[in-house]
Amino acid sequence: MAKVIFGVWDGNVIDNRGKNVFEIEEHPAFRDFDEFNAGNPIKAFFGGHGFFIFEKGVNLLGAALHYMERAAKESCGKCTPCRVGTQILKSKLESLANGERNPNVLDDIEVIAEHVRSTSLCGLGQTATVALLEMLKYFREEIVAQIATGSHGPAQPFTTYISAPCIEACPSKIDVPRYIDYIKDGKFTHSLGIILQKYPMAATCGRVCVRFCEMACRRTQVDEAVGIKVLKRFVADHERNVINEWFSSNLISDRKPDDLKIAVIGAGPAGISAAYHLLLKGYPVDVFEAKTVPGGMAATGIPNYRLPKDVLRKEVSIIESLGGRIFYDKRMGRDFTLKSLMADGYPAVFLGVGAHKGKTMGVAGEDESLEGCQFGVDLLLHINHDYIDNGIPMTLGEKMVVVGGGNVAMDCVRSALRMGVREVHLVYRRSRNEMPADHEEVEAAEKEGVVFHFLTHPRRILSENGRVKGIELIKMKLGEPDASGRRGVSPLDGSEFVLEADAIVPAIGQQVDLGFVAPEDGVGLNKQGLIQVNMDTLMTTRKGVFAGGDCVTGPATLVQAMAQGEQAARSIDEYLTYGRVHFFPNDRMSQLVASIQPMIKKGITIPIKHEYRVRIKELDPETRKKMFEEVEKPISVEEAYHEASRCMRCYRVYSVITEQ
Amino acid sequence: MLGFINGKEVQFEQNETILEVAKRTGHFIPTLCEMADIHHTPGTCRVCLVDVKRKNSPGRLMVTSCTTPMEEGMDVLTRTPAVREKQRLQVELLLADHKQDCAVCIRHGNCELQDAAQFVGLQHSKHTYPQFYMERTWDDSSKAIVRDMSKCIRCFRCVQVCREIQGADVLVISEKGLATEISVRDGAPLAASDCVSCGQCILVCPVGALAEKDDIENVIDFLYDPEIVTVFQFAPAVRIALGEEFMLPPGTNVEGKIITALKGLGADVALDTNFTADLVIMEEGTELLHRIKDGGTLPMFTSCCPGWVNFVEKNYPEMRPHISSTKSPQACLGSMAKTYLAEKMGKPPAKIKVISIMPCTAKKEEASRPELASGGAPDVDVVLTTREFARLLKREGIRLDGLEESPYDNPWMGDYSGAAAIFGTTGGVMEAALRTVYKVAWGRELEQIEFSGVRGFENIREAQVDLGPELGVVKVAVAHSLKAARKVVEAVKRGEASYHFVEVMACPGGCMGGGGQPRSKKSYQASWEARREALYGIDRERPVRQSHNNPLIARLYKEYLDEPYSAKAHELLHTTYRDRKRIVKHTMKEIWEEIERRE
Repeated sequence: MAKVIFGVWDGNVIDNRGKNVFEIEEHPAFRDFDEFNAGNPIKAFFGGHGFFIFEKGVNLLGAALHYMERAAKESCGKCTPCRVGTQILKSKLESLANGERNPNVLDDIEVIAEHVRSTSLCGLGQTATVALLEMLKYFREEIVAQIATGSHGPAQPFTTYISAPCIEACPSKIDVPRYIDYIKDGKFTHSLGIILQKYPMAATCGRVCVRFCEMACRRTQVDEAVGIKVLKRFVADHERNVINEWFSSNLISDRKPDDLKIAVIGAGPAGISAAYHLLLKGYPVDVFEAKTVPGGMAATGIPNYRLPKDVLRKEVSIIESLGGRIFYDKRMGRDFTLKSLMADGYPAVFLGVGAHKGKTMGVAGEDESLEGCQFGVDLLLHINHDYIDNGIPMTLGEKMVVVGGGNVAMDCVRSALRMGVREVHLVYRRSRNEMPADHEEVEAAEKEGVVFHFLTHPRRILSENGRVKGIELIKMKLGEPDASGRRGVSPLDGSEFVLEADAIVPAIGQQVDLGFVAPEDGVGLNKQGLIQVNMDTLMTTRKGVFAGGDCVTGPATLVQAMAQGEQAARSIDEYLTYGRVHFFPNDRMSQLVASIQPMIKKGITIPIKHEYRVRIKELDPETRKKMFEEVEKPISVEEAYHEASRCMRCYRVYSVITEQ
Repeated sequence: MLGFINGKEVQFEQNETILEVAKRTGHFIPTLCEMADIHHTPGTCRVCLVDVKRKNSPGRLMVTSCTTPMEEGMDVLTRTPAVREKQRLQVELLLADHKQDCAVCIRHGNCELQDAAQFVGLQHSKHTYPQFYMERTWDDSSKAIVRDMSKCIRCFRCVQVCREIQGADVLVISEKGLATEISVRDGAPLAASDCVSCGQCILVCPVGALAEKDDIENVIDFLYDPEIVTVFQFAPAVRIALGEEFMLPPGTNVEGKIITALKGLGADVALDTNFTADLVIMEEGTELLHRIKDGGTLPMFTSCCPGWVNFVEKNYPEMRPHISSTKSPQACLGSMAKTYLAEKMGKPPAKIKVISIMPCTAKKEEASRPELASGGAPDVDVVLTTREFARLLKREGIRLDGLEESPYDNPWMGDYSGAAAIFGTTGGVMEAALRTVYKVAWGRELEQIEFSGVRGFENIREAQVDLGPELGVVKVAVAHSLKAARKVVEAVKRGEASYHFVEVMACPGGCMGGGGQPRSKKSYQASWEARREALYGIDRERPVRQSHNNPLIARLYKEYLDEPYSAKAHELLHTTYRDRKRIVKHTMKEIWEEIERRE
């Protein structure tokens, strides 16, 4: 375990310089700080709250200089102290590192560093000089001693990294403050360019993302999170008429030979993202999709009123603009197999299959063959695919009961209303607070007239002559929170009641139908019945076969699937180029940043003016519940500028000094 | 709510900033980037620092007063040694990033950065890093505006005005770190960009980073060339603003002093653009009646404002047929000076140079339009803004404020009506046109000369006038600021606006708020009210208040042009417009390369 010889973090000083290394107490917080990569010890760590020195002989001036160089480079250049101050600091540190022997320079450095810390506009400037200031305050003699030698100090390998809470929270690690910066700058194309570095489905993600970033947004400590998602949608919509023209196969500089063609199974978020990155890396890509439309769960699972079909299709078509091919109605296990793909000369395959199979509730009388009983995912598929895409009329009955509390359940109830179901009930066994669905979705469903039954659980499905007649329900009570903090529920005896209905829709979860994997394929499954992969590389137990998205994680989110698609593309590229997957310093830095989080004091000490988040205009509930037109309206350019200005730019610079 | 500033109790409202409270209660805090009347507090200069203690927290904090809300029980100190020290260091850092050629700077004597340095008591600046700013963009491609980014202090007022007031959104922010600059969309040089040269950005720039292109040398060349006949004209809005450059109160009418000053400079002929404003009313009014009667393209938009003409050519070229073909008063005067006046005065047109003094930067560009020339000679040869004219006078040793007043003495073009005088404010062209159109339609004068329906400062104003059985009720609108202009154009395009005639002035307030007018520090349009009232005052005092009643206009038609909209008038007083829309095609490759260069 890494031992701290000296260091300061948030003003807490650790000084073990007088001790022998073996005498220094171990601290579990530094469990992860032994090595940067295999055989490469971390000698020092610098962040926005302080620094730690793990080995003797670290060139402090050099380390401070590297850190300041990165901070100066990342300054947004808008406020004076950060833009100019970090440059002057860099210049003065440079002269010291180059043998300037006047220790009085340290006084000038300290004045400017303190000025940058206390008067900068954004989080980057406010933290850029903290480590340097703490070093000067508590360990100045170390630097003075180094200056006195007049030597450059040893050259030392280092890695710098810049990130923010929203970036770290995002599975795709989208540089959120950067795309917001570009909006502030008036460059919407570049803002979208930042998003498109990660995935092609920007307008889609800007509509349906679950927004881990906004949950992590530090603006919540002032008023409300920055509208990160709506800004993403704004730039994607703003450029919607031209974005497809930006892409062409000319974009690809390093074109790979045809025998390095890659098969991607599934044109959902994971598959599209993998195909996109593979195409950009120059690989020929063939995508095989079981359905007749692209988009996977994003197409069949998300209703048109949240994600218009043309938006999704336009973004998927970027794959074709880049020269990729998509083959529809090609189901693995039916139309081809892993074996046949290998025989057709695909040296690598990506499995990006979604969780399209509904989960049964496990109650009496449940029978999928009953008329009027279908899973939530199937209901959405039928509505999206048969009714909206193909115009096949359907009747869903007069009164429907949907069971579940997630976004799929919300999509079901809201879609059912739009299909003309007169009375739509939602049954959820916990209370409103425990609902995993986005609260915006719950509120929207409520406004549209869905009847909610919280703390209610199905007991039995009632049927007659193969037709659903109703559902027997029981009231539940909330218990104490369990280890995960979620409160358990137990039935209230004698509270049973019957809700008559002609349609019952269980929407309590989905699973992956892995029937397409044959035992002889050598693709192993894990205990949860999902495809087993090496999480660093996403390679399955079969060499050359990679997997990502729901078939690896279980039913998850669009952005997680897209992130795995990108990761798999990177791994496939490495696998085909080097035969193995390299170490990625930024991924490792991200882990270190996560490890250091518990040591960071929360809270914002500076008073900040409240500027409430943009209100998104919506279609009136009475109008919208009758049609599938998109509910949320776009925001204006003025609103986008204002919303972007709310970002506090919580960038922090981190660096490590390593052995090699 | 209650708090304290320097120990004194202050009352404030929720979400008021410390700076707002301090200003209101008479506590001075030096600022630089902030501009209250355009709601601009970007918090970037970081000069307005104060020391605060929040009610329930032990320590004191240094915060910027412009962005920090005053809180219940907050204790604010504005003058502690630490505050003063930090304010000084802030300005010192700004100067380290600023090309300090103050003596030759166009903003010399009117610079807000110099003021800030004085306010904070900075006596010497020890950080000298010329490499910080030497590489910055210097763009003099435009005929109207020069951008010198080595002087920019990143206050973003120009961006705010271009985006929020004008809605032109031409300025963007490029690069990051020290290389951060205000730049032009798609990296274009200003001349090749969507910039319409309105110059509103110059009015708010606190330093010499944005300025009009200085054309004074050309004027001095002409003045001192004995072969050349110099014909000066000055626009309606110049006379009520120029005095501000000579410490006269805003709204002082210095028309007579300008005539004296021009004589002192050695001008051969001093004319008033107001004369051709009357002429424009005759032509444009007639054009409007033709369009209404003959089923021409409606609504017809005014054409006096070159910022607006640029805006249409660059953004809505399909709307060109809507713009009146009548040349602007500036161009009409040039055209008449080199034809009618040359003939009457017996001077060879080739020897005549027309020099305009305009409240406008876009007029410089207008003068160079190939459409506004005849026989190879431009209608107008040089354009000086009001600010440049003040500089010219100072360079020639003329103190305007002390001069006597002189009248016009040109027997052919030296008179104007009250209608022409109000061309200098938003609504003025419309009001002038209605006075004449009404007379033509009904054969009698409009009873209520002052047409209040088109007066005011709302960005879009509408009115109706009954023009009799033949023409019917005519719907008119007035828009000022390009943001308002865009709204009107979009409404017309959507078929939602059934106007017959629309006046557009690109600058908020009209020409009196033009981009070439005297600036006021720390305020966007400090002199608006006074300037506008002065213009309406001139109108009220004119013996003739309708363009068609200007006797010299009648003479011009009788002796030279025949009648309004005649063949000769068409040849000399009407023009055409070009499609100048810029089509930019991006590729993802370029966008990513640019992003990576910045990373």
